Amino acid sequence: MVKAYEWMVKCTPQTEWIEKKGVLLWLAFFFIELGAGAYFIGSFFNSPLTRFIGWLVCGLLGGGLHFLYLGRPFRFYRMVAKPQTSWISRGMIFVSLFLLLGLVNIILNLYSITSGVLSALTIVLSFLVVIYGGFAMCCINGIPLWNTALLPILYVISGLWGGAGITVGVAVATGSEHLLSAVEQWTHLLLIGYIILIFTYLLSISYGSVAAKTSISQIVKGKGWHVFWIVVVIIGITVPVGMMVANTQSAPVAILYITLLCELLGDLGMRYLILKYGFYNPLIPTTT
Amino acid sequence: MTRWGMVINLNKCIGCYACMIACKQEHYLPSQVFWGRVLVGETGKYPTVRKQVYPVLCNHCQDAACVNVCPTGASIKREDGIVIIDYDKCVGCRYCVMACPYQQRTFYGDDGKEYFPGQGFTEWEIIGRKLNPLQKGTVVKCTFCAERVDEGIKRGLKPGVDRDATPACVNACPAKARFFGDLDDPESEVSKLAKRGSQLSPEHGTNPSVYYIIR
Repeated sequence: MVKAYEWMVKCTPQTEWIEKKGVLLWLAFFFIELGAGAYFIGSFFNSPLTRFIGWLVCGLLGGGLHFLYLGRPFRFYRMVAKPQTSWISRGMIFVSLFLLLGLVNIILNLYSITSGVLSALTIVLSFLVVIYGGFAMCCINGIPLWNTALLPILYVISGLWGGAGITVGVAVATGSEHLLSAVEQWTHLLLIGYIILIFTYLLSISYGSVAAKTSISQIVKGKGWHVFWIVVVIIGITVPVGMMVANTQSAPVAILYITLLCELLGDLGMRYLILKYGFYNPLIPTTT
Repeated sequence: MTRWGMVINLNKCIGCYACMIACKQEHYLPSQVFWGRVLVGETGKYPTVRKQVYPVLCNHCQDAACVNVCPTGASIKREDGIVIIDYDKCVGCRYCVMACPYQQRTFYGDDGKEYFPGQGFTEWEIIGRKLNPLQKGTVVKCTFCAERVDEGIKRGLKPGVDRDATPACVNACPAKARFFGDLDDPESEVSKLAKRGSQLSPEHGTNPSVYYIIR
């Protein structure tokens, strides 16, 4: 995107977290937060199957992809060394504890043993896992698109929304109408919150520095326009809103699954845009 | 307390890229890896265009964002202010690459890249891999030639004054635009020059140890 001689002379995009192997990290963040969000919502509505799916998605897909992304993956255990200053380190601790205690909780539940303390602990940990990715990105002050307090909130809402979507899918698959009607209201609330946050986030960034304006311009009308308008706005937002307005419970099962897929695709698209169009401000002035 | 720092006088810099090449030569840096660069931009509009040349390198910030975010503790700020990377601890998560607002870190992901593709490694590349081995899958960056500084001090030399204890880019500068020394020593040349200079993008709040004299 940027020619060699324009590097840090013009707004320069970050590439390490989205290009080549960086794609793995984009997917890892998505699956980790989606899985933890599903576990959180599944616990909230007492759906053991959702909890298990959430744990699998977070651990196998999210954790696995994150592991593969690392340059020296077998040193991953070192990543817990600096929780006092590093969000990645904190995230690693949250994810590890969540996966360990979450598995113990799921196994105990299989034998109808419930531990209130353990359940509460895993719920708290799943929430911490949902929030850490946003905080890891928002503390990078070189990239104005990420350096905003709205980003962690957006990621939390999107993680929980995705989790609620998976719970809806589980409710439909298991024929649990009680679970479906209970989760659906939350899905609607989270969807409304997600829409408000996306547009507030983009609007607030557009008043920022040169790099911030470049990011928004690229997302809305530049090279990322088709992902933003087609994947995020039409597939990710308009379809679920359409389903929200229509009576979802009477809709065919296939339509519900397609809506869930649209939700996840839209969220994945938004996360792609945020990573792809994270620009650094130039180091030297280029205009008078 | 010593705090090694650098001052670059942009009024003297002629944009010859000698610093960039000297750094590559000193550290046997592989293809596509640069620890120092020369940025060339311009301000104004034709016919009143002004060319701007900025040699950049790791700023060895006092409040280094890269050190703070490193999850393994591989990025270390030494007592003398030099920021180094312990390759044996680096996990290659690239969080430091993201966090550096100056973009002075490089992920070294491909150790098989030749300078002349398809022709094998040159003798220089083979020697470099023995003398300055980098680890594939880790992050690399400018070290302020810490090995030269340390070795020089052991031999009783003064970094910034004696060539053998001074970073390669400073030695190579034909215009003598670069100065190296102890920023905490009020009598040193760099600390005096730094008062005339300014840090690059100070809004990031990292307090760089590299200063630029612009006017």
